Amino acid sequence: MTQPFSARPQDLPTKAELARLRVEYVKDSRLSYLGHLDLIATIERCVRRSRLPFSIGNGFARRMRLQFSGALPVGASSCCEYFDLRLTEPVDAKVALDALRAATPRALAPTSASYVPGTLPALEAWLNRATWCVDLSGAGISPASVIEGIESLRADGKLTYLRGDKEKTVSLEQCLVDYSVEAKPDGGVAVGLETRSGNGAFLRPGILLSAAVERIGLEAPSVMRTRRTFQLHEEDGRLVEPFGPFAESHQTPVS
Amino acid sequence: MRAKRENLFDRLEPLLADVEHPARYLDHEWGACEEQDGPFHLCMVYADVYEVGQPNLGVAILYDRINAQPDMSCERCYLPWKDLSAKMREAGVPLLSLEGAAPLASFDAIGFTLAHELIATNVLETLDLAGIAISSDERDEDDPIILAGGPSAWNCEPLAPVFDAVLLGDGEESIVEVCACIRDARSEGLSRADILRRLAGVPGTYVPSLYDVVVDETSTRWGYAVPRVGEEVPEVVLKRAIGDLSKTPAVAQKIVPYMGIVQDRLSLEVLRGCARGCRFCQAGMTYRPVRERPADQIVSCGVEALLASGHNEISLSSLSTTDHSQCEKMLSGFNEELAEKGIRVSIPSQRLDSFGVDMAAAVAGGRRGGLTFAPEAGTQRLRDVINKNVSEEDIERAARNAYEAGWRRMKLYFMMGLPTETDEDVIGIARLAERVLEIGREVVGKGRKSGVSVSISVAVLVPKAHTPFQWAPQLDPDEVKRRQQLLLHEVRDRAIRISYHDADVSLVEGALSKMGRGGFELIRAAWEKGCRFDAWTSEFRFDLWCEAARECGVDLVATACEEYPLSARLPWDHTSPGVSKGYLQREWLRAVEGVTTPDCTRSSCTGCGVCSTLGVHNVIWGVRG
Ligand code: SF4
Repeated sequence: MTQPFSARPQDLPTKAELARLRVEYVKDSRLSYLGHLDLIATIERCVRRSRLPFSIGNGFARRMRLQFSGALPVGASSCCEYFDLRLTEPVDAKVALDALRAATPRALAPTSASYVPGTLPALEAWLNRATWCVDLSGAGISPASVIEGIESLRADGKLTYLRGDKEKTVSLEQCLVDYSVEAKPDGGVAVGLETRSGNGAFLRPGILLSAAVERIGLEAPSVMRTRRTFQLHEEDGRLVEPFGPFAESHQTPVS
Repeated sequence: MRAKRENLFDRLEPLLADVEHPARYLDHEWGACEEQDGPFHLCMVYADVYEVGQPNLGVAILYDRINAQPDMSCERCYLPWKDLSAKMREAGVPLLSLEGAAPLASFDAIGFTLAHELIATNVLETLDLAGIAISSDERDEDDPIILAGGPSAWNCEPLAPVFDAVLLGDGEESIVEVCACIRDARSEGLSRADILRRLAGVPGTYVPSLYDVVVDETSTRWGYAVPRVGEEVPEVVLKRAIGDLSKTPAVAQKIVPYMGIVQDRLSLEVLRGCARGCRFCQAGMTYRPVRERPADQIVSCGVEALLASGHNEISLSSLSTTDHSQCEKMLSGFNEELAEKGIRVSIPSQRLDSFGVDMAAAVAGGRRGGLTFAPEAGTQRLRDVINKNVSEEDIERAARNAYEAGWRRMKLYFMMGLPTETDEDVIGIARLAERVLEIGREVVGKGRKSGVSVSISVAVLVPKAHTPFQWAPQLDPDEVKRRQQLLLHEVRDRAIRISYHDADVSLVEGALSKMGRGGFELIRAAWEKGCRFDAWTSEFRFDLWCEAARECGVDLVATACEEYPLSARLPWDHTSPGVSKGYLQREWLRAVEGVTTPDCTRSSCTGCGVCSTLGVHNVIWGVRG
C-alpha cells in the first residue's frame, strides 16, 4: 500500500490506469448545512483514515485524486451522493467499503462501493438527472397552491432569481423534467421533483418552490426540508444508474 | 433554576437556514464523544465561534479527561455568531451544548476557558444566552456551578463576580477533582454556598465569593483580596502543576472538524513551560517549570494520531518548540515516518538563532513562505531590559542563514512601550529591519526581482499580572502614536513594511489586565451596550467601551497607564503561579539596570521559586543547546 511519492512524475501511472472506486454515501439531515468545500475536506480525511492506497495528483498541491457528484444545495440532505476515488492498487470493493465506513462519521456513511471504468467522464457532469423530495409548509401552502405556482412558472419557461446580488436564470423547460405533489398528514405538502442539469444549468428545488408559492402571493415556506433521493445519468434518452451497467465503450472524453 | 436536560436540536435547526457558516453548529464530528450519559455533566465553553475555539488544546485536554471518567461526561459549547444569537433570542431558544444539544443551564457545571482578556464580554454574552444569571451571587441554589481557568485567569478579578470557582494552573487533574467535589456535595444535599466552600478546599481552586476586597494605603486603588472573616480559605491560592508530561496522554485533540477552522491540523503539545525569562511574557512566568515530553513518545503517538485523524498536517505546539532538547530527533523522527505520506509538520515559532533557522528548514520541505522572528526590541540595550537573550550577531546570523536557505520574506515582531524605551530604541527597530534587508540583498542580490522584503509588526506592550513588568505603566496612547510616527518616518526603504496593532484594542486589554474586582462594572456596562467579540477587529467597538467607562467613572487611559509602586499589594496577589513576588521584584530591578537573567534549563536555578513551592522541577530529556 505505498503511494507513488518518491517516483519521478513520468513513472507515475496515468489517471486512467488507476483503479476507480465509486462510492455511494449519505448526507444525513444534520449535515445538510455543511457546504461542499467542507464536505470535500471531510471526505478526504475519511479516506486518509481508511488507509486505502489512495492516489495523489501530480499537481503542485498534491491533492488526493477524488471527484464528487454535483454539490447539494446548502440545507439539503441526500441518500445518494457519490465520489470516485483513484487507488494505486485495487482493493476488494467490499473490503474498501468496510474500511471507509469504519473511518467515516455516521452522518456521511458510505452505503456501497464498486469499481467503474476509468474512462467514464467526471461524476459531476455525468450525473445529470436527479430526483428530490421536498417537504414544505407555511401559511396558505396546500397541494393545489403549489401546483398552481409551479404551473404558472412553467408557463414562463424559465425562472429568474437572485443569488446574493446576482440575477440568475434557469430554463425550466430544460431543467424541470417532472413533478408530483401530495398532502402530508401533518398538514404540510410533499413535493417530488425530477430535474436535469447540464451546461452549467442547475435547478435548486428550494428556489423553485419558494418562487412557486411567492408567485401566487403566498409567503415563502416557513419550513422546507429537501432531500436528494436519486442521481442518474441520461444518455440518448436512456437512464444509467451510477454503478452501471455501462455501455461497452465510451465515446466521451476521459476525465 | 436548573433547566431540564433534553435535546433541543430540532428547535435550533430551523434557525440555521440563513445564518453564516451553519457548519459551526452541527456537531457529530469525527472523534466527538457522542455518549453523554453522565450522570455528572460538565460543559466546556470557549466563548468565541467554533472555528476559533475548537483548536484550543486546553479545552481538548479537559474534554478528554472528563470523558475518560466512568461517571462523568463533558460536552462542548462555543458562542454563536451574532446572527444566530439574535435569532435564538427571538425564537426563545437557549444556548445549547454541541454533543447533546442540551440547554447549558441544565448542566451540573460549566467551564470557561479564559484564553485572553478580550473574551470578557463574550463570557457574559454566553451566560445571558444560556439564561444563567451573570453574577455568582444572583444564581439559584441548583443553577450550574460556573468554573473558569486558562491563561488569562491570572488576573481574573475583573470577572471574579461571574465565577463560582477559578482553577489555577494545569487543569487536567484538578478539573476531575473539582467535578467530583461538586458531584459529591450535590448528592449530600449541600447548599450552594457550602459547595463553594468545599470547592475552595480543592488545591488550586480560587473561590472569589469567599474573599473580600480591601483598599488601603498598602494597595493600589483596586485593592487586594483577603479571605472573608470566618472563611477557612488560603490567603494565597497556589496553582496546580503536573510533574511529568510524559505520564499524560500525548494526543488530546481527537475531534476532526467538518468545517475549516483556524488551525486546521492535528496539534500535539511537545512541552509545557518556558524558562527563557522574557520579562514581559505572562505565559513564561505562569507555566513554569519546563516539562518536556520525550521525543519517542511525541513521534510514535503523533504518527498514530495522524493516521487516526486523517489530518495531513501536524503542529508541534508549545511556548518554544525549538527549545526542546530533542527537537532535532523529533523532527527527523517525523520526517522518517511521514516523508512518504504527504504529511506536513509545522512548528509555531522558531528561536532567533541559526538553530531556529535549521529547524524551520527541516519542517518547511520545499515551501518558503515568510519566516517569522521576534526580536521584540530594536536595540541591544532594550533587549537586555526585557531579557530577550539574543544578540545583534544572533539576529544577523539567523537572517543570513535564512536567506541562504531560500527564504525571501522576513517578518519581525516588535513591541513598543517597553519600560525605559527611548526614541533611540524606536529608531533601532528601523535600523534592525534595514540591516536584515541589507543582509538579504547581500545574499540574494539587489533589485526588485530578488523578492527580498522585510515586514515589521509592532504591538504595544500590555503589562500583565505575575510578570516582572506587572508594576509598569502601559504607554500613553498619544505617546504610542508619536512613536509610531517616528518609526514610520525612520523607515525609508519601500521593501520594508510596517504594521501596528490597534492601539485602542491594546488600551482596553491593558485596562482589563490592570484592574481589580471593581472592573466588573465596566465589563458589564460594555456588554450591556453591545460589546461582543472584542478580539475581532471588525467587531471591536472602542466608542462603546469609552461610553461604558465614562458611565462607570473609569478612565481607561489612567487605568492602563498607571504605574504601581513596587511595594504595593496588587489585585491578583492572592493567586500565585508559584513564582515568588520577590523574584519578580528582583527581575524588575534587574530590568531597569539592563541586567539579564539566564534560562534555568541551560544554566542553574535562578531562584524563581516555582520548583520548591510546588514540589516540581524542570523535566529535560536531553541537553539543551
Ligand atoms: S525554581 Fe529555579 S529551576 Fe525551577 S523554574 Fe524557577 S528558576 Fe527554573
